[in-house]
This record gives sequence, structure tokens and C-alpha cells, in this order.
Amino acid sequence: MSTTKTSTMSMPQAAANPEVGSGTSTGTSPAGSGPGTATNAKPSDQRLFSLKKWNIVAMWSWDVECDTCAICRVQVMDACLRCQTENKQEECVVVWGDCNHSFHNCCMSLWVKQNNRCPLCQQEWMVQRIGK
Amino acid sequence: MITLSKKLKEDAARKSSGSNSKSPDLNNSTKRVSIRDRLLIKEVPEMTSSLPKTCKVHFPDVHKLHHSLLTISPEEGYWKDGKFIFELTLTEEYNIAPPKVRCKTKIWHPNISEEGQICLSLLREHSMDGTGWAPTRTLTDVVWGLNALFTDLLNFDDPLNIEAADHYLRDKRDFEVKVQRYVRNYAR
Ligand SMILES: [Zn+2]
Ligand SMILES: [Zn+2]
Ligand SMILES: [Zn+2]
Repeated sequence: MSTTKTSTMSMPQAAANPEVGSGTSTGTSPAGSGPGTATNAKPSDQRLFSLKKWNIVAMWSWDVECDTCAICRVQVMDACLRCQTENKQEECVVVWGDCNHSFHNCCMSLWVKQNNRCPLCQQEWMVQRIGK
Repeated sequence: MITLSKKLKEDAARKSSGSNSKSPDLNNSTKRVSIRDRLLIKEVPEMTSSLPKTCKVHFPDVHKLHHSLLTISPEEGYWKDGKFIFELTLTEEYNIAPPKVRCKTKIWHPNISEEGQICLSLLREHSMDGTGWAPTRTLTDVVWGLNALFTDLLNFDDPLNIEAADHYLRDKRDFEVKVQRYVRNYAR
């Protein structure tokens, strides 16, 4: 599964050069796992292999959206763009809403001052927990 | 996961260092790159590589990605053959605050005032439904939204220029004549 995930993220990053995405995942596929077995039937045929993956991409984009702070577009497990710039990496924590969407607490506290809704699902923003 | 975050970090590092070398901040070498500017390093290439074919973007100062001019040349509809220039200004508060957009070309349009104010929901700062600005939106969304004011998002029911909307409802032919007169006089 991790191989599919890599290709998913590569796609928007390397939109101008789709070869990069399929190349990366093909390279990591030997270590890869169960559910993709069917597509591994002909590992030599790379064209067929990457074509199959386009289906899977849609399933995984949702998951990636949760891992990346939709406000500053940095991974929630890393410090937000603001804290990286100000060298406050240690203080940067993650906030989860009742809707289960997560953001950097720094990013979200700026946004709720303007609109107390989750920018992803538009539900009223209620903090579920704050932490790392 | 490890590959993913590593790739993102590498991308970010490559992108920010690449832009720093191209646009050194001569006056404030001690000042850090703003959050806005760091977001724009990613958003601007994304936007320019996915423009509608009726749109062109120009940066009067290549070191100021927060200030751009968008030219929309509708290929069909009432404003066909016009060239409409929109000025996009992104304050330091971007992307918490939406871009400020003005239409620099005088136009007869229900959703754009003759002074250049624009009524487009995604540019609205405080909205109670999901249609207003959110930091999940990007410059690409703004450009496509503005472009759609000449097609899908053209709206006579909730107008900013009430006179123009009434004009249309009263006499579509005459509305069209006035639109094209404005195009000839101001939008060529
Ligand atoms: Zn963030
Ligand atoms: Zn932070
Ligand atoms: Zn949510």
C-alpha cells in the first residue's frame, strides 16, 4: 500500500512530469505488499503497471489530505510553515476537530478568528484534541 | 510515510531555495520570506500551468508574486472579443485572507460594478456557507472563478450592478448592445 501512496503524492507534486510518479512507485514496489499483487503479475510491463494505478490514486487522495495541513500545505507531523520560518518547530502542535480533520494548531487558530468552520468540510469547528 | 514526507521536504527545500536565489530581497536581507510568499512559490507555477485558454497572467514585478494582472478574453458570450484586466493583490495575511481583486477594465456586467468591484463568492472573506474564501483554495481557483464570471457563474439573480441586471431582464437585445459598446470603447 505504501507504494500506491507514494505515487499519489507524487502526482500533484510532479504534475508536469507524470513519469516521475510512476517511476518512483515502480522502484519501491518489490518491497510492496498484498493488495497490489494482481498488478505485479507483469512487472516488466511498466506501462500496464502504471495505468492500473490511476484507479487507486483516487482512493488515496483523501488520506493524504488528512496528513497534510490544508492551510499551510505542510505535513501535520512536521512544524507548520510559520513555525518553520520562525524557528519554533518544537512548539508546533496538531489540532483535531470533531469532524476528524487535523491541522496545525497555529494555522487553525488563525483561521477560526475569521470563520469558525473547518475549511475542509465546513462544519462548525470544535476542537477534539490538541497534541503531537 | 517516510518516503512521502521526505519527498515533500525535499520538494519544499528545492522550491524555496530555488526561488531565493532568483529573487534576493535586496532591501531587507534580514527579513524572512513571508508565509504568503512561501505559499506563492508553489501556487504561482501551479496556476500558470493550468490557466483556462481565455486567460493570461502577467507579473509587473517578478519579485512580487503577490501582485499580478490577469487578462480574460472571453471566446463566447456577451463579452466576446473583449479583453478584461483584473488586478490581483495578495496581502501578507494570505492565505487566511482572500486575494483582493479589482476589474481594471470598465465593463457592463451584473456581477462587476463599473468601478471594478467584483461579486464572486469565493473571494468573500466571511461567509456562512461553504462558498466563501477558505485557505484550502488557491490562486488557480481564483483565476478559474473569475473566468467563470463570463460563463457558468454569470448571475443575474443576485447582482452587484443592479442596473445591469435589470437591463438584461428588461431587454436582452439592448443589454447586449450596451455590453458590446463598452467592449469597443474600453476593452480592446
Ligand atoms: Zn499548517
Ligand atoms: Zn506552527
Ligand atoms: Zn472538517
